[in-house]
Amino acid sequence: MSLSTTSAYYDMKQAIADNRLVGLWRMMAGLRWKYIGATLSIGVSTLAKTGALLLLSTFIDTLLPREDVWRIAPLVALGFIALAVIEGGFSYLSGRWAAQTAETVARRLRNYLFDHLQRLTFAYHDKNKTGELLQRSTSDVDAIRRFYIEEGVGIANILVLFIVNFIAIMTIHVPLALASVVVMPVVLGISFYFFRKVSKKWDDFQNQEARLSTRIQENLTGVRVVKAFARQNYEIDKFEEENWKQYLSGRSLTMMHSVFWPLTDVITGIQMIGGYLLGATLALNGTITVGQYIAYVGMITWIIWPMRNLGRLVVQTSTGLVSFDRVMELIREEREPLREGEAAPVDKVRGEIVFEHVWFEYEPGNPVLKDISFQVKPGQTIALLGSTGSGKTSVMALLPRFYDYTSGSITLDGIELREFPRRFLRQNIGVVEQEPFLFSRTIRENITYGVGRHVSDEEVFQIARAADIHDTIMSFPEGYQTLVGERGVTLSGGQKQRVALARTLLKNTPILILDDATSSVDTETEASIRHALQNLVKDRTTFIIAHRITSVMHADMILVFDKGEIVQVGTHDALLMQEGIYRRIYDVQSRIEDELEREIASV
Amino acid sequence: MSNDYGFQEEEFTSKFNGGTVLRILAQVRPHWRWVAGFMACIILVAVIEAYFNLITMRIIDQGILAGRPDVVRDLLIQYALIWVVFCALIFSFIYLTGVLGHRVQYDMRKKMFEHLQALSFSYFDKTPVGWVMSRMTGDATRIAELVTWGILDSTWAIVNVLTAAVFMLTINWQLALIVIALLPVLLGVALWFKARILAQYRITRSTNSKITGTMNENIVGVRVVKAMSREEANLTEFSELTDRMYKSSFKAAWLSALFLPAVQMISALAVGAIVWYSGVNINNEALIGGLTIGGLSAFISYIRQMLWPVQDMARVYAEMQQSIASAERVFSLMDAVPDLVDQPGATDPGTLKGDIEFDNVTFYYTEDKPVLTNFNLKVRQGETIALVGPTGHGKSTIVNLVCRFYEPKDGVVRIGGQDYTTMPMHAIHSRIGMVLQTPHLFSGTISENIRYGRLDATDDEIIEAARLAGAHEFIMTLEKGYEEQVGEGGVLLSTGQKQLISLARAVLADPEIFIMDEATSSVDTLTEALIQQGMDSIMEDRTSFVIAHRLSTIRKADRIIVIEHGQIAEMGSHAELIRKRGHYYNLYTQQFRQELEEKYNKTLDEVESIPA
Repeated sequence: MSLSTTSAYYDMKQAIADNRLVGLWRMMAGLRWKYIGATLSIGVSTLAKTGALLLLSTFIDTLLPREDVWRIAPLVALGFIALAVIEGGFSYLSGRWAAQTAETVARRLRNYLFDHLQRLTFAYHDKNKTGELLQRSTSDVDAIRRFYIEEGVGIANILVLFIVNFIAIMTIHVPLALASVVVMPVVLGISFYFFRKVSKKWDDFQNQEARLSTRIQENLTGVRVVKAFARQNYEIDKFEEENWKQYLSGRSLTMMHSVFWPLTDVITGIQMIGGYLLGATLALNGTITVGQYIAYVGMITWIIWPMRNLGRLVVQTSTGLVSFDRVMELIREEREPLREGEAAPVDKVRGEIVFEHVWFEYEPGNPVLKDISFQVKPGQTIALLGSTGSGKTSVMALLPRFYDYTSGSITLDGIELREFPRRFLRQNIGVVEQEPFLFSRTIRENITYGVGRHVSDEEVFQIARAADIHDTIMSFPEGYQTLVGERGVTLSGGQKQRVALARTLLKNTPILILDDATSSVDTETEASIRHALQNLVKDRTTFIIAHRITSVMHADMILVFDKGEIVQVGTHDALLMQEGIYRRIYDVQSRIEDELEREIASV
Repeated sequence: MSNDYGFQEEEFTSKFNGGTVLRILAQVRPHWRWVAGFMACIILVAVIEAYFNLITMRIIDQGILAGRPDVVRDLLIQYALIWVVFCALIFSFIYLTGVLGHRVQYDMRKKMFEHLQALSFSYFDKTPVGWVMSRMTGDATRIAELVTWGILDSTWAIVNVLTAAVFMLTINWQLALIVIALLPVLLGVALWFKARILAQYRITRSTNSKITGTMNENIVGVRVVKAMSREEANLTEFSELTDRMYKSSFKAAWLSALFLPAVQMISALAVGAIVWYSGVNINNEALIGGLTIGGLSAFISYIRQMLWPVQDMARVYAEMQQSIASAERVFSLMDAVPDLVDQPGATDPGTLKGDIEFDNVTFYYTEDKPVLTNFNLKVRQGETIALVGPTGHGKSTIVNLVCRFYEPKDGVVRIGGQDYTTMPMHAIHSRIGMVLQTPHLFSGTISENIRYGRLDATDDEIIEAARLAGAHEFIMTLEKGYEEQVGEGGVLLSTGQKQLISLARAVLADPEIFIMDEATSSVDTLTEALIQQGMDSIMEDRTSFVIAHRLSTIRKADRIIVIEHGQIAEMGSHAELIRKRGHYYNLYTQQFRQELEEKYNKTLDEVESIPA
């Protein structure tokens, strides 16, 4: 068994199969012998268990009556212990191997899905809900794990137990064996019916539990409203309603169990007593020996137990297989190739960008960018201005190849963008999003996220100062080691943006995209960030997606977007000279001060 | 997906603590008949199980070996009759225990929920919602299981071991002693295993929640991951977690797989010892070492019968420890004392109409950080007060004190000249209307949410309130109108719409004091106008406090109070304060620019409509 196949990584795409059991089989690559071993061990263990009963019967029938029984007895005693060692040893091996298989497959699946999710396209993530993806990669994986450890081996265990003991009884007396399984169809039928029903009831119970939790949660998060309207009694009544329903649902679930178990007990009881009667009669008339009768009494238990539990396992298996389908559906999705691309990464990107007749659509037939053309020289600062949905953010999503343009051409340093591996582009383009996402790590870890090298404290401080966030961070008791999020500090929108800015600046990319990066900070902070940025953007090609005129005024070129098209291009001064959207926007702004003057004067 | 995946549940187990145990047991005291019932059932079940082995022995010895078919028949009839009783008992104990378990859960949740309603704000300030949630769900379940299945399992185990021991002793006391001597060994082995398995489970569980958390974050933050090209580093970090998970769950699994055989080995030793003993001491055809053949078979059955409970006890014991820890947390919730309670002899003045006065009020949430110090303010009946100033300087605190969500640490708040702590809490809360910055709606329909303001309101009154609040129009544009679902926490509506509904709710309540915390997040122009209209209609003739962010609101107020560092920095009408050219002037001009700029940003969207 090579190390690579049993390892934590396995390309799950290879497990895609039309048949689910084939898929589950493929997932066990490198572990199949272990799993087969686990199943066989169950068999050996069962043989030993039944063997002990046969030994007991032999001991009673043929050895006890002998004169030298005192000499043989210790050997028989050792025989019992040896059989127990075999039974226990193999049952241990079976458990161990099954667990190893299940846990390895689960680890592979977790690793694969984690990686898979971060490599699926933006378009995929746009369409799919986090909760749904999360459920598939956690609880569905767990259901598959359980399938290997419980259902797979469990069903084998049950079948082996049944068959071995059935055959053992056959060797004692054939009609007795046949009589011992007459109720089997009935018990199996009831068991299937019950477990299917109960799993539905269980779902109901869980759903009610979820409703109850929602009620509690809403009450707790809305505690201000509850108190402000003094609605405590009303809340108690509403809670009582759900709580009582939960109790009733639990009660009816219990009722099903309390009927099922005794009911099968009655049926298997008839079976057992009938078996005892037949067995005892056979023993009385000498057809079987007393020892065989005693062995039979022991074996009948191992025939009845499987009958009652097979239904449970089969129903559980069907839920396990549903999970398998859901996981495979996710695995079938195509990944975004990160390294594919012919253009050999040049040493240093200069940052010359040319858009020529670029069209782009998220959904076919609905273009969000129409015939976009512009040229950017290395080191220039370009501002993109326009209303929400005018296409300015979409343009910028094309550069790191978050999405691929539908037609036209975009070149970077003269090479078509599509020829570059995505990984390369993303390493050379820094993006600060409008609503930046921070991870629940320390602030330092957030800033150094994605740098991929050791960063000295001094460097982190320097970058944080540039983003005007250093002093804020130092004001927290734990400074840069402060955790972000629920368990740590809650940062304001502006603070988050500045941390994100620091994170991007640390990447030190030749191309920088700032999406409205200063929209949720106050004017003073904005000014200080802008000042810091002026030094940082000097040698980089910088794009600023802006909502305020103040953030675009100093750009080398301003692109004004409207309905997916560029309607105006030029510098601030040039645009002011033109009739058009830009000047109208500018005019509004200059009116603000006039209005303020008038307002104050009117008091 | 819940957003509190990061909320780590400290999983601890407690040593047995007499007081806690008694208190846990007290949870079932009202249902003691049920407990007595299932205990009686399970004791009978255990005894009958042991008795069945005895019958089997007699069938062999007195029936088969004695060649007496009639005895076999009689014994089997006896077996069958007892079997019927046995099945009935199984039905009863499952039903009684199961239903009681759900009932105890119901009771405890009810108790906790009612207690929570009585707790003060300060409790909710320092207790995360997730913490309370797990007390009411997982912990309640565990306690209920302890007082039902826990009691059942331990009773069964003890009775089972005892009856098996008694039956064995009556059959052959020497052999029985050998078996009983093995019991402590068995128990020791079981506990040794359980402790180790549980420790691994604990690691598995906490790793699992980290895995879920990391996974969740990587999906939510996938844009950043891609933009930063951090895929490989992430996978490396993540596989450390899955590795830990693998190791602990694999270890737990193989320990469990070893546990059973280990226990079985001990029982095999017992069986071996008996066979040895019986073989070596043979002196009689029918009696082997003082043991009949049937007796030998019964002995082996009894050993098995003792085995399970002992092994099971280890599980029950571990669960008990967890349940006691659960119980301690649940009781800590139930024991939390409300900070604010009605004073004895508090009387409802019948109305809150009258002047409101803060007289030398000092307040802090934590002692070392005073929010208000010797704060004085007098508000006349019907006045509208706009509170302005920077975040975190005490505006919300003033409002919270007016509502008596908190009480002054020092000084007095008077309503209509009367110290409000001499009034019952309900008298104040039921006459206050409040609209929050981030309005909270409950899942249900719009009409249900408005009705929250006054439960006995008719549909017409609800529509009237919605009209007054300016919410009617937008509600009518919804497909189902007032019967539209708002979603959990109102997620299906925009902030502006939620605010309109919570305004309607406040209008319907017809409060004597109105409190409004204006939303800072921008709403569209039309909605803003509607909100303004709603506010105007509710603030008319009512004493109102508005934490104001919009100029239109501020300008309309009778009095503007600038709060800085828990003090009144400036106070007066709009015109007075503008002329003063002080704090207010600065705040105002800044706000003015910002609002206009916002307006201008919006015009970017409607750029065609701007006159050139």
